[in-house]
Amino acid sequence: MIKPIVLIAAAALCLPAWGGSADDVAVQDPYVRLAPPGAPATAAFMVLKNAGDKPASLVRVDNGVAKVTELHNHTNDGGVMRMRQVKAVEVPAKGEAKLEPGGLHVMLIDLKTPLKEGGRVALTLGFADGSSKTVDAKVVRPGASGEGQHHHH
Amino acid sequence: MAVRILQVIAALLLAALVGVAFFWHPEPPTRELPRAAEAPGGDFTLTSAAGPVALADLRGKVVLLYFGYTYCPDICPTALATAAAALGSLSEAEAARVAMLFISVDPARDSPAHLREYTAFFHPAIVGVTGSEAEVAAVAARYGVYFARQPAAAGGPYAVDHSSEIQLISPDGRRAGKLPHGFTPESLVVEIRRLLR
Repeated sequence: MIKPIVLIAAAALCLPAWGGSADDVAVQDPYVRLAPPGAPATAAFMVLKNAGDKPASLVRVDNGVAKVTELHNHTNDGGVMRMRQVKAVEVPAKGEAKLEPGGLHVMLIDLKTPLKEGGRVALTLGFADGSSKTVDAKVVRPGASGEGQHHHH
Repeated sequence: MAVRILQVIAALLLAALVGVAFFWHPEPPTRELPRAAEAPGGDFTLTSAAGPVALADLRGKVVLLYFGYTYCPDICPTALATAAAALGSLSEAEAARVAMLFISVDPARDSPAHLREYTAFFHPAIVGVTGSEAEVAAVAARYGVYFARQPAAAGGPYAVDHSSEIQLISPDGRRAGKLPHGFTPESLVVEIRRLLR
């Protein structure tokens, strides 16, 4: 009789690990841009929507396709695009963060094998509170005005 | 009385000094970005996988120039894909009178052979060219393009800050404007047709 109670108690203690940013943040339209032949790096984009009351902080993106993965931002300084690594992508409470061409992106460096158009890449988003969630990102050919539009067709 | 005036002046000067010390934070000097309007442009010869490419050999055509590098994961593919969409929407007769050069500002990593593979992915009319560091720097300076290699994390790849813009050259070889980053295929087609008239 005691055993189930212990299990329930243990499960209750584990509950905080289930909650957190990963539960609050919905990931919309994740995609990886098809890298041109010979290009050793590419980028992944998505929109992060935080339904929670606390800000969420994306700190890492694990995947099986790149040897190194970093979070980057671009700033447009009088027409000069400056790309810099960032420690985290902050998603405000009840707000969103857009990872899109020309701005924030997940940079996938040193691809282990060339990506294929239409293929899928599993991206595991890790948040500062230790929670994580995995999304399935489609490999999309670079398009003219935001490849993200392909997802709405 | 004179002493009193001197005391007031001293107090005012002190207040001014404190104010300056607290509120004046001069910006450290930064490298000035070249002003494109002053850049003269002009002919140059760089190297493609098929041999030398001289701007002078492209007289009679509208020439599009884009300075970038293939390690660029986001900005360059966006610009090239947009330019490719514009090129693809031209008529055959128009397209025959348009050339595009992708000039790599990262010759250390971008060989001409590598550039050919890279540009063909976007559009067959885009020709990838580069040269020595000095040659590329000279062409960039003449076209008002800024680029600067950034320090890399240990063992990681370096990025190159660079102007992202499509430069237009008229059929007689003169600079004829540019489109900033974020341009649309439609806006580029309008510019091309304006120069073809």
